[in-house]
Amino acid sequence: MKPLDLMQPPPPPSRRREAPAPQPVADGPMVLNIGPHHPSTHGVLRVVVELDGERVLSATPDIGYLHTGIEKTFEAKSYVKGTTLAPRMSYLSPINNNLSYVLSVEHLLQVEVPERATVTRVLLAELDRLASHLVFIGIHALDLGASSVMLYTFREREQILDLMEMVGGARMFPSYIRPGGLAFDLPPGFEEAVATLLDKMPAAIDQYERLLTKNPMWKRRTIGVAVLGAEDAIRFGVTGTAMRAAGIGYDLRRALPYCGYEHYDFDVPMHTDGDAYARYLLRIAEMRESVKIAAQALARLPDGPYATADRKVAPPPKHELATSMEAVIHHFKLWTEGIKPPPGEAYVAVEAPRGEMGFYIVSDGSGRPYRVHMRSPSFVNLQALETMVKGSLVADLVTAVASLDPVLGEVDR
Amino acid sequence: MAFGSGVIRGMGITFRHLVESYVIGFKEQPAAAGDLVAPTAVRAGMPVRTGGMQTVQYPDEKLPIPERFRYLPFLLYEDDADNDREAFDGIRCTACGICAKVCPPQCIWIVQGKGDDGKPRPVATEFYIDASICMSCGFCAEYCPFDAIKMDHDYELSSYERHESWVYDLQELLHPVAYHAAIHPTDWQRELEEQRAKDEAKRRKAEAKAAKAAAAGADGDAEDPEAAKQRKLEARQKMLDARKAREAAKAAEQGDAPDEA
Repeated sequence: MKPLDLMQPPPPPSRRREAPAPQPVADGPMVLNIGPHHPSTHGVLRVVVELDGERVLSATPDIGYLHTGIEKTFEAKSYVKGTTLAPRMSYLSPINNNLSYVLSVEHLLQVEVPERATVTRVLLAELDRLASHLVFIGIHALDLGASSVMLYTFREREQILDLMEMVGGARMFPSYIRPGGLAFDLPPGFEEAVATLLDKMPAAIDQYERLLTKNPMWKRRTIGVAVLGAEDAIRFGVTGTAMRAAGIGYDLRRALPYCGYEHYDFDVPMHTDGDAYARYLLRIAEMRESVKIAAQALARLPDGPYATADRKVAPPPKHELATSMEAVIHHFKLWTEGIKPPPGEAYVAVEAPRGEMGFYIVSDGSGRPYRVHMRSPSFVNLQALETMVKGSLVADLVTAVASLDPVLGEVDR
Repeated sequence: MAFGSGVIRGMGITFRHLVESYVIGFKEQPAAAGDLVAPTAVRAGMPVRTGGMQTVQYPDEKLPIPERFRYLPFLLYEDDADNDREAFDGIRCTACGICAKVCPPQCIWIVQGKGDDGKPRPVATEFYIDASICMSCGFCAEYCPFDAIKMDHDYELSSYERHESWVYDLQELLHPVAYHAAIHPTDWQRELEEQRAKDEAKRRKAEAKAAKAAAAGADGDAEDPEAAKQRKLEARQKMLDARKAREAAKAAEQGDAPDEA
């Protein structure tokens, strides 16, 4: 056998196929996948885009990469354990998801919630909205190439997450809101910390606005881009800022008040342009309203119990376990059998930062829900993507996705 | 709007922050590595600082942790001299299993101890927590009726191995009560007060009993202890007889059934 000459290129294997002859480039549209691993898709979203040059002919969101089967998981967990699952759907607005789930369970139970718990829920939900909108502004600007805005918005968001950690023990998923009230009382020093933060927020929002609102580059990238009209918004069931930017003043805090939102003084910001710039302006305005609502909630935060006295819903306070046999029995019964709502169904929606977030729960009278389904705003809003970007430049697709602000955990569930 | 005005305005804000980082809060930074950051952060309930230096030089500096912070559960044992840790003495856990029941991802596994007579004893001979499954929800600590399991503040748990070392066993989970008292001061205060209330209730009960006995003794119709014992024994015998009769009736009934068939 001849020794192998390493200096020579090896002979072609006999089974190597002939390379296909180069085909002439077809004159049709080019199909391009954006995602599922692309920084501007905010998660594992894949958009199949048909392009004619730089023009978008069609954009089909392909979802399901983050499917967790969370709806099925709910059926295997008791109602209280569900409070750890509901926030995990959306890592940007966990408190609002938690609130929506708990309100649905409470609707099934028909339980009265003490005033202190209700006001605390409003306060935390508004802080959560602030944190979510801060991420929106930072990431939206980052997607369009303005990287410094994100540094400043995350600075304030960090403070809000610290507050969540102080209240519930975890930054993202405190599971602090429980059926019947709250998990524990607010910690000492919390009110002062929130007041300090709320004092600083208007100036911080001004700073973001100085970076973006009148910036000519920002305006050219967002004005008239990703337009969604009122008719299309209704047709797709789009809610949240995307709907209000199209001129429809639908805000669940006004339309179907929950947690006593009818007693707070706030405006629902509106716009009629329906473009990405209008959505940005609305979110800025909503942050200012959130600061207002949170300040009002803080001012009216009453003393009193933080959870209902109904021992079939909320556990007895721990100090009772030491002295009362009855409390121990309630405690064990509640955690071995769980809360048992009467058979029936409930759907309660809240105005989450992205739009209408609702939990539909069917109870068969046992300690676990028979069926749980979520109406998540990210999923519904994403359906409008193609209408928003059809005929526009491919670069505007990034603007469209960013201004819808989807959370893929909510989309795929 | 002039060309480039957005860039100039934006750079102006960035430049101001650069200057601020040398002016605001620079002196508040800890001088020596390893010092705890002064509680300027919201974590300690103090006013928020949104200007100047923000960076924390981890791991040389660490932010203070709020008391309610939760990472992984740990078990408590009374660190007294007369308690032998290896012999499961002083461990608060009674193996009631409520933590395993409320755990949403089901990462707790308990084996209840058995005495020499085969009857279950209120001790956990084995206790495992799979740290890679734990979702840090803190339900176990919240619902433990005996204050035997608490959430740890230690978040630096990286390891070179990702299977066995993540399943913590009883000895790895045990921490002295003093550790819990140090990281959860408010909760520890509550526990002390509860213990005080419990002792008080016990003392009052004993006092009431003694007073009653004294009153009964004063009346003079107090039962002789021997007589009371006799009466109790008789009652017990009566109960046993009744049970025997019931069982016999049941057996007769069951015995009859095949005959009829």
